Amino acid sequence: MAHGHKVKRYSGLKDWLTTVDHKKIGILYLLSGGFFFLVGGLEALLIRIQLWKPLNDFVAAHTFNELLTMHGTTMIFLAAMPMIFALMNAIVPLQIGARDVAFPFVNAIGFWTFFAGGVLLNVSWFAGGAPDAGWTAYAPLSTATYSSTHGLDYYVIGLQIAGIGTLVGGINFLATIINMRAPGMSFMRMPMFTWTAFITSALILFAFPALTVGLVAMMFDRVFSANFFEPTNGGNAVLWEHIFWIFGHPEVYILILPAFGVISEVISTFSRKRLFGYSSMVFATVLIGFLGFMVWAHHMFTTGLGPVANALFSIATMLIAVPTGIKIFNWLFTMWGGSIRFTTANLFAVGFVPTFVMGGVTGVMLAAAPADFQYHDSYFVVAHFHYVIVGGLILGLFSGLFYWWPKMFGRMLNETLGKIFFWLFFIGFHLTFFVQHFLGLMGMPRRVWTYLDGLGFNNLNLISTIGAMTMGLGTIVFLINIVVTSAKPRNASNDPWEDGRTLEWTIPSPAPEYNFAQTPLVRGYDAFWKEKMEGKTEMVPAEPLGPIHMPSPSSLPLFMSIGLFIAGLGFMYAKGDYGTGAWAWILHHHIVAIFGLAITLTCMFLRSVFDDHGFHIETDEILRDKGVKA
Amino acid sequence: MSGHAHVDGKLPHEPEKATLEGRNKVLGFWLFLGGETVLFGTLFSAFLALRHQVGDGNPTANELFELPTVALATFILLTSSLTSVFAIQSMHTNKVKSMLWWLVITVIFGLAFLGLEIYEFNNYVHEGHKFSTSAFSSSFYTLVGFHGAHVLFGVLWISILIAQVLKKGLNVVTAPKIYVAGMYWHFIDVVWVFIFTVVYLMGKVG
Amino acid sequence: MAGTQHSAAEENKRHKHEGPKKHIIAFIFSILLTIIAFAMVAAGEINTTFIYVMLVVMALIQVFVQMGFWMHMKDRGHVFPIVGILGGVFVVFTIVIMAEYWAWW
Repeated sequence: MAHGHKVKRYSGLKDWLTTVDHKKIGILYLLSGGFFFLVGGLEALLIRIQLWKPLNDFVAAHTFNELLTMHGTTMIFLAAMPMIFALMNAIVPLQIGARDVAFPFVNAIGFWTFFAGGVLLNVSWFAGGAPDAGWTAYAPLSTATYSSTHGLDYYVIGLQIAGIGTLVGGINFLATIINMRAPGMSFMRMPMFTWTAFITSALILFAFPALTVGLVAMMFDRVFSANFFEPTNGGNAVLWEHIFWIFGHPEVYILILPAFGVISEVISTFSRKRLFGYSSMVFATVLIGFLGFMVWAHHMFTTGLGPVANALFSIATMLIAVPTGIKIFNWLFTMWGGSIRFTTANLFAVGFVPTFVMGGVTGVMLAAAPADFQYHDSYFVVAHFHYVIVGGLILGLFSGLFYWWPKMFGRMLNETLGKIFFWLFFIGFHLTFFVQHFLGLMGMPRRVWTYLDGLGFNNLNLISTIGAMTMGLGTIVFLINIVVTSAKPRNASNDPWEDGRTLEWTIPSPAPEYNFAQTPLVRGYDAFWKEKMEGKTEMVPAEPLGPIHMPSPSSLPLFMSIGLFIAGLGFMYAKGDYGTGAWAWILHHHIVAIFGLAITLTCMFLRSVFDDHGFHIETDEILRDKGVKA
Repeated sequence: MSGHAHVDGKLPHEPEKATLEGRNKVLGFWLFLGGETVLFGTLFSAFLALRHQVGDGNPTANELFELPTVALATFILLTSSLTSVFAIQSMHTNKVKSMLWWLVITVIFGLAFLGLEIYEFNNYVHEGHKFSTSAFSSSFYTLVGFHGAHVLFGVLWISILIAQVLKKGLNVVTAPKIYVAGMYWHFIDVVWVFIFTVVYLMGKVG
Repeated sequence: MAGTQHSAAEENKRHKHEGPKKHIIAFIFSILLTIIAFAMVAAGEINTTFIYVMLVVMALIQVFVQMGFWMHMKDRGHVFPIVGILGGVFVVFTIVIMAEYWAWW
């Protein structure tokens, strides 16, 4: 099968811009997701500074609205999602014993469109104002009538572009996990992180198209004078709430499930025990994914859907506590009697469990519709979802980053700095958000620019701000850790934690371009641990050593997303008064938008017409890699 | 597994599934269609929620829709779905020439459907049923227009594939593309079945 | 990768070249359902609820036939395609319920 195709391999910046290697795309996701995480964090700090004392005027009221909108949007779509994709890209193919993902090219499209959308969204800061209607962009606040600047245009179009990236990324992982598993890796032998990645991808597949339609409808309302959410012409503002939350609630589970997966891996590894109740864990994951689509209206209890709808959604929401509870107990029982090592990764995982339980309990409180009328739109809700998203997802992500950092970069993060980071972040987190429960119960509404003196909010807000600063400090320690680590030699072994249980720990750190020199034969759950228990140090190969076929790098994904970026700008600036010059004619006739779409379609055409023959990595090169490591 | 395994020899019965790349493509496309189902489902529900919001003095669905035109469009698209089945059958028996002819016929039917839709939309606009007239009109044009855009994309896509097969022949690289385009075309037809039922026939009933 | 290779070969053996016959039958069936649907509406004068239900049922049957035969969903090896489409259908079902019952109040 070895053909003499010209080997196209780039280096340096060109390599990163054209890569289709899932491990490099994972790093790209991590870099850009990390960048947006810092941007969103900065916005959060500005919000907290504004609220540290009553009647503060650190930022203007309008700026505050922009900050809270962009904080939410950035953190969910541009920080959390890509960092999840970073871990999925870096780890899932390795865990199932695959050489590559199912669609390496599409994977690159996924990253670049996400990136284009994210940049477009943030361009709004420099183009006359960011979106300011909250991350939920409820109509009519977000319609052209009440929001005449371009801020919301950036929101609807930026998220559409980023959404395309997420959707194709999800399809890629579904196909990868279904079709590319190594021999013997049956579904019920898949590591828990792969399972959660699988279910998360399925949720992405079924939830994101709904958001796309909602955003398209809102874009048509704003740009082409449609009437979906415009009550004066028969539109329905509540329809937007429904569509947004039909996407929005599954989105919450899209975020949290991978964290569950990470926690399962980390706790099992550092307890030196098989994950307790693996099959119930799988079942619970699937059930959470399924129920996730039937609870969206619990975000809308106060909208006035009537007692029947409220009761139904109330009960469905409470049901979710059951599979989640199964998971919590499984983690506890995994630790029970294990020889636990408190590495930084495990600290984050162990810290996750009680924190997430607190978020879950307030979730059940909010699920009771009559009580929700009291909590709704107060800081109690803010506290709740930060407990599940930061206390759940973000702790899980940091746990996963410390755990898999050597597999991604070949270097172990510094444990001392890591532990300082954990304690600063963990304590800071609880300081920030624990008190917000009480602020909410005392009646402080969310999304307010400032509050009056003498309402009893002062001290708790001050504590909350101090907590936010502490989290910021912790994040700085993490950044220092990364810099310090990257200066050290690349010497992580295949199995740096020495207790690795799954396939990613059988190959060098970082993994070679082709992942597995020989596809491994999987003989049970915790495949590597099983071999270790039988005294072996590596997997039994399922195939002889031979040349490995690899896909060629391509610059088309980058240009495709640039095309969408240009088209997005073209659409939002088509309306407006530009006088009578040539430029006005070009904008009014959507020439810019058509030009952008033409770039994207041309890229698709080129991809279809010119076959990618790829190239082969020859046996001697694989042997050379092996020799260096041994 | 580079997709060259069968180029020189005889093609297997189902060339679209002969390579891992091909099987990935078919599976991935099925999943994509699952996402498309939600996309069109959401468009349908937006239409369902807004279909009675016609506004004062604007034409209603009952006044607007002309069943003969819609029926003709429906039969054209149904038939094109059948011709694309024949194309895939020809591919499975390795009759490249007849496959190409069936694809050409499918494209022609697709173009005819598009022509009818443009004619129809043009009529509606002249009757005062513009995109921005009412919530009903916005959701109608968005739903039916999204479907029309899918037909247009399919026509362009299949045309490119015809050219590719003419140039490169039928092999394990081109076969999955044709199979997947066929699936796409059937899916468009299935969506249209719901559109003529929910939008046009139910709109006519009132 | 090697593990999935044999399934394709099996697939080859299982069904030899299928003729166009059942596809034509599916087509005629679809056309008939379509004609009945249009005729019912054109004739009018029947209870509207009855027409609604009949129209939806006939559309579902037609789609079922087309997806089963033309898209080969009835064939073996289509577990994940079925799961994919059914997942979408389930979500669409909830969204349609929303649009019909909860969008207006």
